Amino acid sequence: MRQALGFILSLFIHAGLIASALVAFPHARRMSEELTVVPVELVTLSRETNVRAARPEPEPEPEEIVETPAPEPAPEPEPVQPEPEPEVIPPAPQDEPEPEPEPAPPEPEPEPEPEPEPVQQPRPREPEPEPEQDSLDLNALSQLVDRSRDNAAPRGEAETGEQRNRVGPGTDMTASLQAMAASHMNRCIRSNADAPANMDLRVSLEIRLERNGRLSVPPRLIDEGRIMNSPNSYLRVAGERALRGAIECQPYPLPPEHYAQWRVLRVNVDTQRNR
Amino acid sequence: MTVLRYLFTPILALIVMAGSAFAQTPLVVDVTEGTLDPTPIAIPDFIGEDNREAEIGADISRVISNNLDTSGLFAPVDPEAFIEDISDINLRPRFGDWRVINASALLVGEVSIDENDRMLVAFRLWDANTEAQMQGLQFVTSPDNWRRIAHKVSDAVYERLTGETGYFDTRIVYVSEGDGPNGEPIRRLAVMDQDGANPSFLTDRSYMALLPNYSPSAQQITYVSFRDGRATSYLYDLETGRQEALFDSGPSLASEGQSLSARFHPNGRELVVSAERHSGHDLFRFDLRSRTLRQLTTHPADDVEPSYAPDGDQVVFSSSRGGQSQLYVMNADGTDPQRITFGEGRYTTPVWSPRGDLIAFTKQRSGQFMLGVVAADGSGEERILYEGYFVDTPAWSPNGRVLLFTRGDRTREGTTYSIWSIDLAGFNLRRLPTQGEASDPAWSPLID
Repeated sequence: MRQALGFILSLFIHAGLIASALVAFPHARRMSEELTVVPVELVTLSRETNVRAARPEPEPEPEEIVETPAPEPAPEPEPVQPEPEPEVIPPAPQDEPEPEPEPAPPEPEPEPEPEPEPVQQPRPREPEPEPEQDSLDLNALSQLVDRSRDNAAPRGEAETGEQRNRVGPGTDMTASLQAMAASHMNRCIRSNADAPANMDLRVSLEIRLERNGRLSVPPRLIDEGRIMNSPNSYLRVAGERALRGAIECQPYPLPPEHYAQWRVLRVNVDTQRNR
Repeated sequence: MTVLRYLFTPILALIVMAGSAFAQTPLVVDVTEGTLDPTPIAIPDFIGEDNREAEIGADISRVISNNLDTSGLFAPVDPEAFIEDISDINLRPRFGDWRVINASALLVGEVSIDENDRMLVAFRLWDANTEAQMQGLQFVTSPDNWRRIAHKVSDAVYERLTGETGYFDTRIVYVSEGDGPNGEPIRRLAVMDQDGANPSFLTDRSYMALLPNYSPSAQQITYVSFRDGRATSYLYDLETGRQEALFDSGPSLASEGQSLSARFHPNGRELVVSAERHSGHDLFRFDLRSRTLRQLTTHPADDVEPSYAPDGDQVVFSSSRGGQSQLYVMNADGTDPQRITFGEGRYTTPVWSPRGDLIAFTKQRSGQFMLGVVAADGSGEERILYEGYFVDTPAWSPNGRVLLFTRGDRTREGTTYSIWSIDLAGFNLRRLPTQGEASDPAWSPLID
C-alpha cells in the first residue's frame, strides 16, 4: 500500500512537471529575422553578431561593421539630369521643407450653379468667383476616417459593483474585462488601416500579466512562424505592431481583484476594419 | 498490481484535471481599431570621426527626420530629450533610455569617408521595446550624394516599419506658373526632389508646357505644349535633355484641362492619350517605337483623360457618354467599357493607383471641387479626401499612399495655384515647398 501511495505521489509530481513545461515552453520567441533584399550599392550589416553589449570589454581594435567587404564600389546615384537651360530655381526659403499642416482652411463656396458644360470644352481653369463660400470641415472628414480616436475613451469604467461580483467566462464581468482590455489596447497597437484592402492581416497574441498589470513574460505571437516568415510584408509588420503595442500598453489598468481572469490574455488583432 | 489497476483511471483523470487547471483559460480580447497616431522614432545625428563626417551625419539625420515626419506616420522625438549619447553604432543602445522618452524605434548611423573620398553610411534600426535590430544596412557612394543616401535610408526605415515601399528617393515634376512682363501667362516645367530640394527648370519661357507625366523608368516625361494655336504632345528625355514631338493633339489652344495628357503604359513602350480627330475626343494608344496611333474608342461623346492600371490590362477614363462626365474602365484594347461612378457632379481626372485597388479623381459639384478615391471596380462608396475652391490633377506617390494635387485658392489678386499632398486616410494635408505658384504635379517612380 505504501508503495502504491508513493507511486501515486510520483505520478502527481511528474504530471506537475509536464504541465509546467507546457506552460513554459511556448514563451520562447524568436527575436530576430533575416534581412531582406540588398541593392547593389548597399551592404547588409550583420545582425547581432557584430553588435557589442552596451558595456564592452576594452578592445584595442575597432570592430568591423560588415564581415564581408562590399563586393565592388557601389554605383553612384544617377547623374544629374541635364536641362535644356542651366537656369536654376532659387531654393525655397527653408532648406528643409516645412509644410504647412493647415488643418482646415475655410474655403470659399461658390454658390450652386448648373453644370451643363459640354464635354468638348475643357474644364474651366479659373473657378468662377462666387459670393458665398463654404467652410471646409476637415475635422468632420477626419472623424469619418479616424474612428479610433473617437473610440479611445475607456469603455469599461462604467462597471458596477454588481457586475464585479459576477465573474467567470461568459459573465458580465468577463465582458467588462474584455472591453476594458480592448479599449486600452486600441490606444497602443498601431492600426493596419494603411495597408491595402483585401489583405488578411489578422494576428493573435498571448499576453501573460502580473497582478500590477505589467508583462510577466514577453508577449508571444501565436502562429509566429507563419506570420514572421510570410512573404507578405504587411502581415509581418502587423505582427510586429501587435507585439510592440502589447509592450507599450504596460501597465494594463485591469482590476486586481479579478486578476485570476486576466492573468492570461489572448488578443485577436484585426485593425483593417478601421479604414 | 491490482491496486494500481483500480487506481489507473482515477489517476489519469486527476492528471488531466490538474493540467487543465494549470493551463488557465485566457481572457479573449478583440482589438479592432488600433491607433493611427504616428510612431515615435528617435534619430540621433549620424556620428562621424571628424568634422566633415559629423556635419554630413547631422545633415543626413535632419533629412531623414524631415522625410519621416512629413509622411505623417512617424513622429521624430525631440533630440533635446535624448538621454543616451550614441558614440558607436556597434554597441547595443541602452534601450531603457529610449523607452523612457517614448521612442518606439531608434535609428542610429555613422558616416565615414576614406582617403579616396568614398563615403560609407551605415545605420541600424532598433525596436526600442523588443530590443531587436530591425534593419542594418550600409551605403557606399561619394559625399556629394549624401542627400540621396538620406532618402534611401528614409525609404528603408519606412519600408521596414510599415511593410510598404517608401517614396522618399523620388522626384516631382510640375508646372511652374508665372506671368511675363506683359502679364502673359508663363508655364514652364520644373523638377525637384520630393522634399523640395534641388529645384530646376526643364523648359524655357518661349512656350507653354503643361501636364507632365513620368515614364515607368523615371527617365522620360511626356508633356503637352501649346504653340501656334495647337496642342502637341512631347517626349522629354531627362538623361539627355532631348525633346521630341510625338503627335498633334488637336486645335484646343484654350484647353488647359487634363484631357490631352498622355500617360505611359507600365511597359514604357506605349502611351494612352486622348486626341481630337474627326468629331470630338477619342482615346488612342501611341506606340513609341513605330510612332503610330491606334484608335481605342469611337463613341460620339468625348472620351478623355485616360490612365492605365498598374498591370496595363485596363484603362480608366472620363467620358460624357452617360450625359455628365463620369468615370469608365475598359480593357486596354478599348473593349468592354464599364461605368464605375454614379454620383452627382462631374467626375474628371481619373488616375489609377500604383497599388491597383483605387482610382483617384476630382469632382465638381455645386461649385465646389473635391478630391476623392473610389475602388477600381466601382464597388463600395467613394471617399472624398479633400474639398476646396479648386482642385485638379491628382498624382499618386509611387507606393499609392499619398496623393498630390493642384489646389487653387482665391485671393484678392485672383486665384493662386499651389501643390498639396494628402494621405489616403484624408490626413496630413501639406503644401509642397515649390518656389512660386505651381500646378500639374507628377510623381516619379522610385529612382534606382
